[in-house]
Parts: sequence; C-alpha cells; structure tokens
Amino acid sequence: MKRMLFLTLCLMLIPSLSFAAERSAESIIGDALDQMRGMTSRSTNTMTIHRPDWERVMTIEGYTRDREYSIFWVLSPPRDEGNGTLKRGNEMWTYNPKVNRVIKLPPSMMAQSWMGSDFSNDDLAKSDTIVEDYTHRLTDVTTVDGKKVYIIDSPAKPEAPVIWGRLRFEIREDNVLLKEEFFDEDGALVKIMEALEIKTMGGRVLASTLKVYKTDAPDEYTLLVVDAVTFDLALPSNLFTRSALKNPPR
Amino acid sequence: MHIELTMAWRNIWRNPRRSILTILAIAFACLLLVFMLSFQFGSYADMIRFSLNIHTGHLQIKAEGYQKNREIRKVISDPAAVAERLEDRPDIRDYTFRSNAFSLLSSEKRTYGSMITGIVPDREARLTTIEAVIRKGDYLATGDTNQVIIGDLLAENLRVDVGDELVLLGQARDGSVAASMLAVAGIFSSGQEEMDRSVAMITRDTFDRLYFMRGAVHEIVAVCPSLADVKPAVTGLKETLSGLDMRYPLKVWTWQELIPGLLQGIKIDLISGVIFYLIMIIVVAFSILNTFLMAVFERTREFGVLLALGVSHARLTHLLMLESSFICLVGMAAGIAGGAALTLYFQHTGIHIAGAAEILRFYGLPEALRPQLSWLSLLLGPAVVFVVTFLTALYPAWRVRRFKPVEAMHAT
Repeated sequence: MKRMLFLTLCLMLIPSLSFAAERSAESIIGDALDQMRGMTSRSTNTMTIHRPDWERVMTIEGYTRDREYSIFWVLSPPRDEGNGTLKRGNEMWTYNPKVNRVIKLPPSMMAQSWMGSDFSNDDLAKSDTIVEDYTHRLTDVTTVDGKKVYIIDSPAKPEAPVIWGRLRFEIREDNVLLKEEFFDEDGALVKIMEALEIKTMGGRVLASTLKVYKTDAPDEYTLLVVDAVTFDLALPSNLFTRSALKNPPR
Repeated sequence: MHIELTMAWRNIWRNPRRSILTILAIAFACLLLVFMLSFQFGSYADMIRFSLNIHTGHLQIKAEGYQKNREIRKVISDPAAVAERLEDRPDIRDYTFRSNAFSLLSSEKRTYGSMITGIVPDREARLTTIEAVIRKGDYLATGDTNQVIIGDLLAENLRVDVGDELVLLGQARDGSVAASMLAVAGIFSSGQEEMDRSVAMITRDTFDRLYFMRGAVHEIVAVCPSLADVKPAVTGLKETLSGLDMRYPLKVWTWQELIPGLLQGIKIDLISGVIFYLIMIIVVAFSILNTFLMAVFERTREFGVLLALGVSHARLTHLLMLESSFICLVGMAAGIAGGAALTLYFQHTGIHIAGAAEILRFYGLPEALRPQLSWLSLLLGPAVVFVVTFLTALYPAWRVRRFKPVEAMHAT
C-alpha cells in the first residue's frame, strides 16, 4: 500500500515537474498558434482597413482545422458577398461568385495584400509553418500584469521559403500572442501585429482585436476583431475543398 | 606678317604630295568624326523616340505618391480639368488617359499576375505604337466592353489565343473585388519584354466599371512637338496644375525620370564611341607628327641659311606653326564639307540595312536609319582634331629653336 501511494505520488508529480522546467521556444509558439485555432474553429470577424482618407469594413466568416486548413468567406459589404479564400498548407485559392471560378494564387501574387488589407497572402499561407521555417530562441521573460511574457527571437532558416528575415514574438504564459514583429532580410522592422484587446471567447483566452500596420506608414492599419468564435466543433470533412469554396455552409 | 603668310603657303606646296597626304589624313579624320557623331546622335534620337513611343510618352502626370507603390487609391480625381489645361498648351501635342491595377488573369489552366491597364483606344493609338504592334487579332475599339489585348509572352504563359476567355480578379478602387470575364481580342508584341510579359489592356470605360474608378484615372500621358519642348512644358505644367483642386496633389514626370535606364544606356554607348574616336585621333596625330618632323629635318640647311641671314628663332617657329595651321585648316575645311555632304545625303535618303527593314517595321520603327547633322556633331570632332594637331605641331617647331645657324647649314 505504501508502495502504491509512492507510485501515485510520483505519477502526479511528473506533469508538474515537466511544467516547472522551462518550456522550449518552439512549443511556446506552437501552443500560441494552436490557442487561436484549436483543433477546429469557426469564427465571425470584422476586418477594418484604415487609410488616412478612406476606410473599409468587412465581415468575414472563417473555419479552420489544425494549422493547415482554413477557409473564409466575405459576408459583407454586399458587393463582395460570397468571395472566398481557401488555404491548404502553403497553397491558396480564391473564389469570386461573379465569375464563378476558383483560382489558385500564383507565386507572383503571394506578396500582394489579402483583400486589400495589410495582411499579405503570404502571411496567411506561411502561418502554419512558422515553427518549422524559423529557428526560435527564448531571449527574455518579462512580467506584464502579473503574467509572464516570453520574448522569442526567430531568424528564418537559410533554406526556408519565407519572405521575412526574422520574426520576434511576445507571448504571454497563457498562450496569448501579444505582439509579432516582422523584419526584412536586412534586419529592418517592416511590419507589426499587436493584440489590442484580450478576451475569453469560446472558452479560450485570446487576442480578440489585432492591429497590423507597416512601420513606414503607421497611420495606415488593419484591425481584425473576433466577433464570435467556437472551438473544437465537428466540421464536415469536405469543408476545406475547392468545391466547398463555391458553396458556403449556411 | 604678310610675308610670313605667303612663305608658309608657298612652303606647303613645295612638296605637294606630302602636304596633300597630310591634308587628306586630317580631312578623313574630320569627315569620319562628323559622319559618325551625326549617325550616333541620330540613332540615339531614334532610340529615345522609339522607346518613348512604345508606352512612356514624353511626360506623365500622376497623383503624388502613385509612382512608388502604384496604389489604386492614388488617382487623378478630375482628369477632365487636367485635359482642359493640356488643350491650351501649344507645347503639348497630344495626350491620353491610363489607369492601372495589378490583378490576376486566369485562363482555363493557368493564372498569372498581370498589370491591367485601362486605355482610351483612339488616343492611345495616336501616342504610341501599340496599334502597330498587334500581331494577332484586333486592337481595342472604343465601346468594347469585355475585350482585352495582352502581350505575347503573357498569352504564351496563359496558353491562350485570340477569342479565348480570361477571368480577371483584382481589387477595385473602393477595396471591393473586381471580377469579370474578358475575351482576348488581340495579342501584341512591343519588343519590350516586361510589357509583353505582364501587360493586359482594356478600354478605360471597362476599367472604370470593373475597378469602380468613378471617372478617375491614374496617369495622363502626353507628348510634346519635339523632345526639346519637354523641359519647358514640364516647368509650365507644374505651375498650371498646382492651381487645380484635386483629391491628391499632382506630380509631373519627365521621360528621363520615368525610364532613367534609357539615358544611362545611351551614355555607356557614347563613352565607348568616344574611346574609339580618341584612338583614331591619336593615330592621325602620329601621322601628322611624322610629316611635320620630316619637313623640319629635311629643311635643316634651309633653316640654317635663314638663321644666318638674321631671321630670329621666334620668327622661324612662327613660320612653322603657320604652315601646320594651314595644313590643318585646309584639311578640316575639306573634312567638314565632305562630312556634312555625306551626312546630309544619308540624312535625306536614309541608310537601309539589308534584311533589317522587316525587323524595324515589326517594332514600329522607321525602316531606314538616318544620321542627324547638328552644329554639335559638325564641329565637335574637327575641333578636337584641330587642338590635337596643333599640339603635335608644337614639337617640331620647338626643335627648330635649338638650331644653330652654322651647324644647321652643314647638316646633310
């Protein structure tokens, strides 16, 4: 009996022991990415593209599975309703109901902006391989509002097919991505994505408002607000296909 | 002074064969320089005209900041007001409107990113060679609604031919999605790879509808009566256009600013030409030096006698310099006259290179190359020849200063 008790105690200790050990930079980033998506997710978002003399607000419905698959449709404005984007791994397709055609984005378009926002097509397409395409190093741990914040420096691997030279993350200990900075190959800071608001939604703590802007034009930015999100729901197996792109689930 | 001139002139003709050969060497160098420079300047003018006629025009008006990132929002909001100002100017021969958007063009099988340009077909044809370089199918017509003309390399990449359908997908001025089916009306080959690889043209009205431009355009392309009018026209336009009330302030670009590579290419070619001319002038200079030196050594006894008779060294040098100046001037006059005649002849008839006419016509170029005589091309080469010859003649004249009368008279 004594022996049993000791064993149980040992077993109980193991998870906490591993938790006590410093987490690897890769796992911190991986967990933060998974936190936003879950195994699967369904969300409605409002994207605001702001320019000094102009602003455009779109609502977007999106579904994701794992890190690899995602599909989005524009719900409003009415002119653009039904326009869709499908991402499978590094490949992207776009659908327009007016011409009723699904078009695969060629490599030359990957650097172009997604839907006119400050996100590029590449930002979406390469998001699931961030952990593999960069080497990650935990450089600092600070404390903000009583919570630990990991600062991770991630230079691109030399052979990785990415456009950025280096990334820098600030991730809170509860897996919330607070800030991501994008540096070009010369090491200059080009683009910043930061969390403006953090909420508990769909049972998870996440950045509900993200702001993306380029450092050379801080008065031009894109706001992405999560209006509603459900995690780990059952999704039809054929959702992330080109034919699904033409027929959004209603 | 008078007697020296007479003596110098007579001395030249004491050995007519040698003098004529020297004169011919100088004349030939001058003739060649006049013709080659005229030819080079003429071909540069053709090159500039050709390059600008493809697409660029002489000057372009755009919204401030458009040139850098080509953002679709940065428009000329009231092109009609600008056009009105252009109409009033005698230094603007013609102009046209253009709009651009980087978009996807997709055929059945393939998709490429492409620069979609909205043009005014009849105006565009007056300004550029685009109508002439349509290889297959037809040029756009005013009133076309879903026709597109594309570059031959783009057509090849997309695997499409005249009559095939393309899907266009891009982003409109208001940020919404621009999408349409287009029919390939024609395929062009301008000779400029970048344009043939990426540009697709639709009418301005179609562009306006698809990209929600609400009457705005991105560029106003203009040409002046001649290249020399560009600079004053740009200065004048900057002033006139600054008074217009536009959503974005306007900026005027000259062709030099739009395609800086063109002038750089010309400069490189000119420098290699100059090196060749310098080598030629040096060769001529040595042959002249030889002639002059021979003339001096041959006449050593004669100079001895003159010195003994009391002619000063300075006067003797003077005499020799006069002789070489005469030879040089006669050669130059002959060379300039001959060069001008030759250049004017070819300027009139043009130089037809066998077999090249077809290629030239293919790209909307004039079929004959024409040299262009100008004061610069006429006088620049001979002026350099004169300076070099004069410097060359100094050496034998300087040698004479060391002659002693008795020794010189005894020379064999």
